[in-house]
Amino acid sequence: MVNENLVKDVVKEPYKYGFVTDIETEKIEKGLNEDIIKLISQKKEEPKFLLDFRLKAFKKWQKMKEPDWAALGYKKIDYQDIIYYSAPKQKEKISSLDEVDPKLLETFDKLGIPLTEQKKLTNVAVDAVFDSVSIATTFREELAKHGVIFCSISEAVKNHADLIEKYLGTVVPASDNYFAALNSAVFSDGSFVFIPKGVTCPMDLSSYFRINSGDSGQFERTLIIAEESSSVSYLEGCTAPMFDTNTLHAAVVELIALDDASIKYSTVQNWYAGDEEGIGGIFNFVTKRGKCLGKRSKISWSQVETGSAITWKYPSCLLLGEESVGEFYSVALTNNLQQADTGTKMIHIGPKTKSTIVSKGISAGNSKNSYRGLVKMGTKATGSRNYSQCDSMLIGDQASANTFPYIKSQQPNSEIEHEASTCRISEDQLFYLQSRGIEFEEAVSMMVSGFCRDVFNQLPMEFAAEADKLLALKLEGSVG
Amino acid sequence: MEIIEKIKTNKSTDNLTEIQKICLHKLQSSPLPNPKSELWRLSNKSKLSNFLDYSVNENNSKFDIPYPKNSQSTIRLIIGENCQIKLIEKNYSIQQLSEDKLQKYIKEQISFFNQNENWSDLLNLSLSCKNNILGLKINGSKIPPIEIFSHASSNSLNAKTLVIFLEKNCNVELLQVNLGQENSSLSQSTFFCMKENSSVNHGVVSYGENRSNLLNSLNVIQQKNSSYNLGTLHFKFDYSRFEISIKQAAGNAKTNIKGMQITKKDEQISTYTKIEFNGPNGFLDQINKSLADDKSHAIFEGSIIVPKIAQRTDASQLSRNLLLSNLAQIDTKPQLEIIADDVKCKHGATISQLNEEELFYMRTRGITLKEASKLQLSSFFQEIISFIPISKDKWDLLDKLLNEN
Repeated sequence: MVNENLVKDVVKEPYKYGFVTDIETEKIEKGLNEDIIKLISQKKEEPKFLLDFRLKAFKKWQKMKEPDWAALGYKKIDYQDIIYYSAPKQKEKISSLDEVDPKLLETFDKLGIPLTEQKKLTNVAVDAVFDSVSIATTFREELAKHGVIFCSISEAVKNHADLIEKYLGTVVPASDNYFAALNSAVFSDGSFVFIPKGVTCPMDLSSYFRINSGDSGQFERTLIIAEESSSVSYLEGCTAPMFDTNTLHAAVVELIALDDASIKYSTVQNWYAGDEEGIGGIFNFVTKRGKCLGKRSKISWSQVETGSAITWKYPSCLLLGEESVGEFYSVALTNNLQQADTGTKMIHIGPKTKSTIVSKGISAGNSKNSYRGLVKMGTKATGSRNYSQCDSMLIGDQASANTFPYIKSQQPNSEIEHEASTCRISEDQLFYLQSRGIEFEEAVSMMVSGFCRDVFNQLPMEFAAEADKLLALKLEGSVG
Repeated sequence: MEIIEKIKTNKSTDNLTEIQKICLHKLQSSPLPNPKSELWRLSNKSKLSNFLDYSVNENNSKFDIPYPKNSQSTIRLIIGENCQIKLIEKNYSIQQLSEDKLQKYIKEQISFFNQNENWSDLLNLSLSCKNNILGLKINGSKIPPIEIFSHASSNSLNAKTLVIFLEKNCNVELLQVNLGQENSSLSQSTFFCMKENSSVNHGVVSYGENRSNLLNSLNVIQQKNSSYNLGTLHFKFDYSRFEISIKQAAGNAKTNIKGMQITKKDEQISTYTKIEFNGPNGFLDQINKSLADDKSHAIFEGSIIVPKIAQRTDASQLSRNLLLSNLAQIDTKPQLEIIADDVKCKHGATISQLNEEELFYMRTRGITLKEASKLQLSSFFQEIISFIPISKDKWDLLDKLLNEN
């Protein structure tokens, strides 16, 4: 018989990214209205089309209602009690990393993010976002040689306004949903990636999001465009300090893949999840969507969701191009009083499109973990195929796991398969491992890791190692 | 929506039973279900309003029973007609429920009703008059098979209610047939109360004629060690909703469900199931099949709810769908809500058309395409039909279905 307390101990692990960087920041006043939006736009010296885009989104947002269909319970968010712009004070223009406030570099160093040049060997270009602004982007010259544009979205607005105007809001329109509209109105920074025709991005690109101040929300916007026959792998990581208030994070990510292009987008989300009593933690409401516009284009989402008090996130693929491919690989771990309602939407529009969904949910403590997914075959999606698999693992008898797959087909020449299962860590397997001299906590960790293997295999190498470690950390530690 | 107007304005409550009054009162505050709720979101609004366009008919016209009696011993009842029954034999007894008991039970059920989830039941109970409610108490074993018919006559809405009490250790086969004549609406609500160790093989076959509608609701409460087997078939309705709610009140019970719906033309047929485990060691095996052709729409939504108390539950749910036309559509949503950790729950769903390789194989053996697809369909149907009790030998449902394809 598994000792219940033992399992409970095993899943406890303090949050190690919870420190606050003491740095002078520039904040605007709390609240949200047209003036605030104009102020944000003015601070960022934006062209008129963007201000119009923001104001239009704000008008739409005011008419919208906060969605309540997700299996989540949280106290009402007061949108007037949030600071919508917060930036660390620094010199006007940074020409090299040496000019970045050392405190900031130290922060990212502590988080294990290679911003400094010594760490060049890691061969990952990083865009680091601290509260509302992007601090630094590494390897830009190297990337520019290949024609790849990788910069913060604010810079892109200044230097590549044509691309922004052409693509911003085409995948996730401002009126798409409540949180996307809010983001469209107030987004502060984020990353912009443009991979020109025929280029395979020479290194992995990565952005790192850090929320530092407790009363400001983070609203970043990411736009990735992959032209014909190009390919890119993009990684995203997130952490935040421990505050006993809830911080709102409402991001929008848009991906566009043209003919034969491929985009791989991986996330390891480890926002602060709140303490054992559920006090504090990030409210994570994210809209991520990719558009496979071109023929044979491919978008692959992989995510490891371990943090946030509330996760509301459905990375989706619109499969428009003939023979385009959408993939979704997800591991969501919830503990204590965390709640996650996550999944994907695969909308098959073009013919011969394919999608694969693999979702693994692990719920421990008093947490709630739901998979919610939509697979839709449109009338023109002949010869399309979908395979979905969602497995849940329950640790302890207080956790809950839900599965809500919505499946809709209007095309007889297509096939949809869905399967889901729920299990717990089998006592037989634990007993077997323990009888071979493997310690209890290591055995649990091995089994969780094995349960998630299908997803970890899809992550880029650096991330796979980090994710495995992260899960092990969350599940290991306090026994012994 | 004639009925709704009547419900809203209904003041002359003199000749109504107490239950009708309670339900009418509940409906008056919100006479229609919330069209945005999960349960009604996909339901075709104009078809629902067609359903409600007929005026209520409390009298019953004659109709043709679709097949002859299997044997002399079969007990055949028609709701609204010969409701009088009192059979007390050596091994078993079948009696009508006393008026008091019937009222008490229905009232108790109403108290658990949720306006949206049980809207069909509320409508049914507010419309079905005393004559159209049949309550039976069944006891004993070696009971001859029972057949119960409900039907709706042309140009009217008929509401029929069936309440069945299965006493301890009772074991019975029961077939329910719901028939709709041309241009008719049938509202059928069935309540099963299964005591300990009872078991039933329940069949529900519903089919209509041109432009007939059906709202069929089935509520089952299972006590310990009871075993409920359900085989259902719904076809030929312009609009049909089949809502199944099964509650294993103290766990340790078995539920087997095999259901099928076939839609053609511009029909919409849907099945909603909700299975709740309120105790440990529950078992569920469910399969639902849909076949959609022409411009029709088939819907399946199944939810399995396993609270903390329901440890060692073993539940599986499978939704298999065939989409045969470019204009037809299928929606399916099997869902699991689990809090207990020591459970085995799984579900699966597939949507496809007939297997081309199998068709090709048969055609290389000289079987025509038409025959080959008929063979495939018959195997698709057979699994469900063989699970429906009583009728399967004499009343060749399979032929009926295949010939219509």
